[in-house]
Amino acid sequence: MKKKNVLILFALAVVLSGGIIAAVLVGRSGIGVGKTLYYLLHPCAAGMERDILWQIRFPRVILSVLVGAALASCGVVFQALLRNPLAESYTLGVSGGAAFGAVLAAVLKLSGIYLPFFAFFGSGASIFFVYIIASKKRFSNSALILGGVVLSYLFSALVLLIFSLSRAEDVHGVLLWLMGDLSIASLCVVKMTPFFILPAVGILFMFTRDLNILTLGEEKAKQLGVNLATTKKTLFICASLMAGACVAAAGIIGFVGLIIPHIARKIFGADHRKVLPASCLIGAIFLLVCDTAARNIIYPLELPVGVITGIFGGIFFLSFLWNTKRGNLF
Amino acid sequence: MGILEVKDLFCGYEKVPVIKGVSFSVNKGEFIGIIGPNGAGKTTFFRAISGLLRPAGGGIEYKGKDVLKIPPKEFASEIAVIPQMLDVPFDFTVGEFVMMGRFSLRGRFESLKEEDHKALKEILEMTDMTSLKERRISELSGGERQRAVLAQGFAQEPELLIMDEPTAALDIGHKVRIMDLVKRLKKKRALTVLAAFHDLNLASVYSDKLILLKEGKVFTTGTPGDVLTYQNVEEVYKTLVVVKEDPVSAKPCVFLVSAEDEKKSPQPPFSKGETL
Repeated sequence: MKKKNVLILFALAVVLSGGIIAAVLVGRSGIGVGKTLYYLLHPCAAGMERDILWQIRFPRVILSVLVGAALASCGVVFQALLRNPLAESYTLGVSGGAAFGAVLAAVLKLSGIYLPFFAFFGSGASIFFVYIIASKKRFSNSALILGGVVLSYLFSALVLLIFSLSRAEDVHGVLLWLMGDLSIASLCVVKMTPFFILPAVGILFMFTRDLNILTLGEEKAKQLGVNLATTKKTLFICASLMAGACVAAAGIIGFVGLIIPHIARKIFGADHRKVLPASCLIGAIFLLVCDTAARNIIYPLELPVGVITGIFGGIFFLSFLWNTKRGNLF
Repeated sequence: MGILEVKDLFCGYEKVPVIKGVSFSVNKGEFIGIIGPNGAGKTTFFRAISGLLRPAGGGIEYKGKDVLKIPPKEFASEIAVIPQMLDVPFDFTVGEFVMMGRFSLRGRFESLKEEDHKALKEILEMTDMTSLKERRISELSGGERQRAVLAQGFAQEPELLIMDEPTAALDIGHKVRIMDLVKRLKKKRALTVLAAFHDLNLASVYSDKLILLKEGKVFTTGTPGDVLTYQNVEEVYKTLVVVKEDPVSAKPCVFLVSAEDEKKSPQPPFSKGETL
C-alpha cells in the first residue's frame, strides 16, 4: 500500500477514536466533562451518573461504531459479489425482510427479546433468497436490484397489512424500530452484537483479494483461481450475520451501506484491500456522528438515527449524482 | 501425449448439444487456431475447457488430469483464459488489475512480495503498459484494455494460454500488435496457445495448426495450408471465397466474393483445385 493511503487510513482511525471519546462526553444528562472523564477512568466507582455512562451511553456509542462499520462492509460485500455499486441490504430487500420479521414478532406478542431474533431470521431469509437468485438464475445485476426493490415493496405492503389489522399500541414499539434507532436494543442484545459483527468483519478482511477478483464476474474469477462455491458461501454468510446483527440491534438504518463504500472508493479507488478497511472506519464515524446528533439535536426529544442517516444520505447521494459526469457514476 | 487432450467431447446447454464429439490433442509449444462459423461451438468449447460447463460425454484432460478435477488455484497457475471482452464494473488501476493475475500464486495469508512487484513490472514492460500503470481501466482505449486483460493472463505465469477471439473488437493495427505480443511471449516463456478466430487470415498468419469446426464437430485439421482451401471454407461457411497465397508469409489468404461480383465474372474466378 502506498504511504499516502496508509496515512489517510491512520487519520481516519484517529478521527474515530477521538469521535468515540467526544461522543461519550456529549450528552443531555448534564454530567460534566470532568466527571465523565473521572467515571470513565474509574469504571468501578458507584453512582447513578456512572451507571448512565457505563450502561447507557458507552454501550450505545460502541454499538453505533460497530453497526456503522458492519453496515458499510455489508454494502462493500454485496456490491462486489453482485457486481453492482447500488447493492446494499436496503436495496436488496434484506431490511424489508427484517422489518417483516420484527412486525410478525410484535403481532404474535413476542416483542422484547424475541423481536431481534425474528428480525435476524427475516433478514437471513431475504439474503438466502438473493443468494439463490444470484447463483441459480442468470439474471443481470440490474434485474437483481429491481427484484430487491420489488421484494422490499412486497414486505412493506405486508408490514402495512399487519399494521392495519392490529391495535396501535401493539405495534407502536415496532414503529420506532422500523425507523432505525440505536436506543431500543436491550443491553443483552447490545452485548451480543460484537460476537456476530467482529468475527464476520475479520473473515472479510481475509477475502479482500477474492472480492477484487469477484468484481470481474464469476467466470473470470474462477479462471483466476477463486474457489467460487466456498468463497461465495463464506461471503454471503458473513454478510448475513452482519446485516442480521445490525437490524436486530438497531432496526432499519438505510443508506449507510450504499454511500460509505462510494466515499471509500472515491478516496482509495476500487481495490478492496483499501476499500474495506476504509469503509469500516468511515461507516463507523458516520453512524457515530449521526447518532450523537440524534441524541442531542432536538433535546429533550430524541430522533431515530435512521431518519438522520436517511436525510444525510439522500442529500449526499443527490449531490453526488448531480456532480458526476455522465457515464462516470461508478 | 499432448499437454491438452480432448477426448470425444460432447457438451452444450440444457438439452441442446453444441459440441458433438470433438477429439484432438495439443502438444506443448504449439500455437493452435480454432476456426468455424458462428454457432460452430468455439465459445462453448472454451467454456468446457475452463471447467464452466460440464461435458455431457467425453472429457478434457490437461497433463493427464480431468480439467474438472483440477483445484481452482492450480488451474489458474497452469492455464490462463483470455475472453473476447471483459466487463470491469469497478474502476481498478491497470497495476491493480494486472496484479489480480497473481492471485493463484499466493496463499490467503501471504502478502504480495518483492517477487510479485518485479513480475508485475516485467509484464507491464513486455506489454508496453508501464506508463499506464496508474491509469484507471475505464480510461483505456479498447486496444489498451485488451492488452491489460492479456497482461493479467500473463501474470498468472501459465503454461497454456486459451484465447477466445481476443482481438475481435480491435482494428487491424491493434490486432497485429496483440497477436505479435502473444507470439513473442509464446517464444519467451515456452507457452502453448489455443486461440479461436473469426478472422481467417489472422488465424492463418499466426497459427501453426488449425482446427476447423462445423456444427459442433471437427471438419478438418492441419496446417493453415491444408485447412484453408476454398473448398473447405466454402463448404463450412457457405460462402464463396477465393484463396491465394500471401506473398509475405506464404500462408493462405482468404478473399471474399460478393454476390454482385460473382455474377459479373464471366467465368468462376477460380477453377477447381486452384488454391495457389
